[in-house]
Amino acid sequence: MKRSWIMLIVAANLAVIVALAFVYPHLMVSPGPLVPAHAQLATDCFACHTPLHGAAAERCVTCHALADIGLRSTTGVALVRTGTAARTPFHQHLLAQNCLTCHSDHQGSRIGQGTRMTFSHALLQPAMQASCATCHTAPANNFHRGLTTGCAQCHTTERWKPATFDHARLFLLDREHNAPCATCHVNNDTSRYTCYGCHEHQPDRIASRHQREGIRDFQNCVSCHRSAHGEREGGGERNRRDGRSNRERD
Amino acid sequence: MTGSLISREVLPFVLALAVLAAAALLLDLVLHLADAVWIGRYLGIPGTVLILLSLRYSLRKRKIITAGNPVQLLRAHEWMAWAGSLLVLVHAGIHFNAILGWLAVWAMLITVGSGLTGKYLLARSRRRIEASRLQLRDEGLSAGLVEERLYWDSLTFDVITQWRVVHFPITLAFAVLSTAHILSVLLFWGWR
Repeated sequence: MKRSWIMLIVAANLAVIVALAFVYPHLMVSPGPLVPAHAQLATDCFACHTPLHGAAAERCVTCHALADIGLRSTTGVALVRTGTAARTPFHQHLLAQNCLTCHSDHQGSRIGQGTRMTFSHALLQPAMQASCATCHTAPANNFHRGLTTGCAQCHTTERWKPATFDHARLFLLDREHNAPCATCHVNNDTSRYTCYGCHEHQPDRIASRHQREGIRDFQNCVSCHRSAHGEREGGGERNRRDGRSNRERD
Repeated sequence: MTGSLISREVLPFVLALAVLAAAALLLDLVLHLADAVWIGRYLGIPGTVLILLSLRYSLRKRKIITAGNPVQLLRAHEWMAWAGSLLVLVHAGIHFNAILGWLAVWAMLITVGSGLTGKYLLARSRRRIEASRLQLRDEGLSAGLVEERLYWDSLTFDVITQWRVVHFPITLAFAVLSTAHILSVLLFWGWR
């Protein structure tokens, strides 16, 4: 008798707990509260989950049309993109359209931590990967202004800094040219340079030596001299003959 | 006498629980250091399988199955339930999000505590019977009389019987809560 009473009390409590799981699923079985934008779905698990199949991207796009992501809200209101936090729509250019790869609506849950991905440029279609300017604005500083080489020459898609700028591609900084930047780039303005910042290169001596050789266009030194002793790779003659004066280029 | 009671009865019980907690924390730490916390999610499966396999002893004890040596099955029940509980503890980690899972873990811990209590009650009963048997023999009683006296020494087995009255509902609570948790996972999880 005593045993049956204990069993009855335990069974009754268990029945109440199981019933609570149906009444308050967001508290009893949810792995964490939903993101604020989806708060109204807190007790409607099957709005996103298909029984025995889990949440699927197909459910997401019923509200979040792929073409509208980043452009319009689910109610059709155009998104205003301002400030540094403004993002360029890119979901339309992803290799795979699987929302759950990156997004989890349950906050605080670490369930999918190991497999969850954050944004990576590798997720973008190849054409989009090569087109940095579609999403990023080039820095408006002297160094970057007017550059025609691709961003990937110096930067990786992992992070903007550190950048790998190879000065030897423009001019080799050997032992004789191991000088502070400002020696050649006055006021550290890297968009300009001068070779007359040191005692060795006096304008008069340089001018007379070049004129003796019949070279009149010698203002842009690196067009011929890519190092203290070397010549410009494959193009020295051509630049000696053209008449441009570009000692200091913009 | 008090010292021996503590070292013989209390300490092993506390140690078994402490080792379980320490092992769970250690495994959890290793997973965190290796940035592999996600593995814990899957440890719930082998943990549950071990606990289910440990129930073979319960079936044998109630004669639902007849195969297997009860003593060996009891030993297997003890370590399988302990190891399974360890894996489930690591699976739960310290990240309680849903109340149902949280309740299931506490029910499991109470079941483990109850199981360990039973284990030491049983060991104590055996020691008590053996001591009584030796004492009765020393008193010069015949083997038949010794067995008769022991039969009436109901204290030894009454305790075990009383404990079973508590252990079964506790185990039932654990079974129902963990089953509800597993069903909710099956219902909502994307198995892809």
